[in-house]
Amino acid sequence: MNWILVAMIIALCIPIYEAWQDEDIWQKMLAFGSIATKTSIMILVISVLRDDWMIGVVGVLILSVGNAGLMLLAHVLRRLNQL
Amino acid sequence: MAELIIITALLPLTALMLVTQTNPYHALVIRGILGAIAALVYALFGAADVALTEALVGTMLSITLYAVAVRSSMSFRLGVLEPGDEVLPEAIATALRQGLQRHHLRLERVGYGSEEALEGAIARQEVHAIFQSSAPATVADAQDRSAQTSAASHPPQLHIRLPRLHSLLQGELSPELAHLKLYES
Repeated sequence: MNWILVAMIIALCIPIYEAWQDEDIWQKMLAFGSIATKTSIMILVISVLRDDWMIGVVGVLILSVGNAGLMLLAHVLRRLNQL
Repeated sequence: MAELIIITALLPLTALMLVTQTNPYHALVIRGILGAIAALVYALFGAADVALTEALVGTMLSITLYAVAVRSSMSFRLGVLEPGDEVLPEAIATALRQGLQRHHLRLERVGYGSEEALEGAIARQEVHAIFQSSAPATVADAQDRSAQTSAASHPPQLHIRLPRLHSLLQGELSPELAHLKLYES
């Protein structure tokens, strides 16, 4: 089952490259959202592979609450040019 | 075991990406990416509590607080006269905004009702600079016509309080657009 994890690592490298080379702040935010979701899904996969419920609960929490930071940052950035 | 090493190698990779950023807002977004990767690595090594703390405090809270701090501190406060035709001309505002953007600063206009209030604001250090569109008010009051001709020959003045901001903006504004002066109280 480890090939799933390897495929996810390769998929994770795509938004990391995008965040590195794109100068537009919104493209970086998109890459950040993509990475935040991908990493929490990877935590869930690891928890299933190891049959560890503690990591599973943490993965669910990061998946559901983690994107709130992205939303708060987006609101601050959106109002940057309005002042 | 190999995938463990690859995932762990992503952490220094994103950390290197973070420290090479020059724009503070870009650095904040990359910090979020670093936090997400760090949470993954911590969960991978079995430290679920550390991963949760990194995601909630290290990523969400710190990024939001830093975004607010950067937004409120990295701005150039320019005092202008509020009413009518005395406002900042668009050409100067655009040139200023472009010059400031190069240093990741933001232009923030603060309106004042009279010339005295403008002078008071820079003396009280409320603003970083004030914009005076023509000759002093005493001349303009006396002879309206001669004041207008002097305004045409003399460019508007930008009094900047901080020497560092003055030197940063020195090359950005052309002399016929506005005359930069260091404010001395």
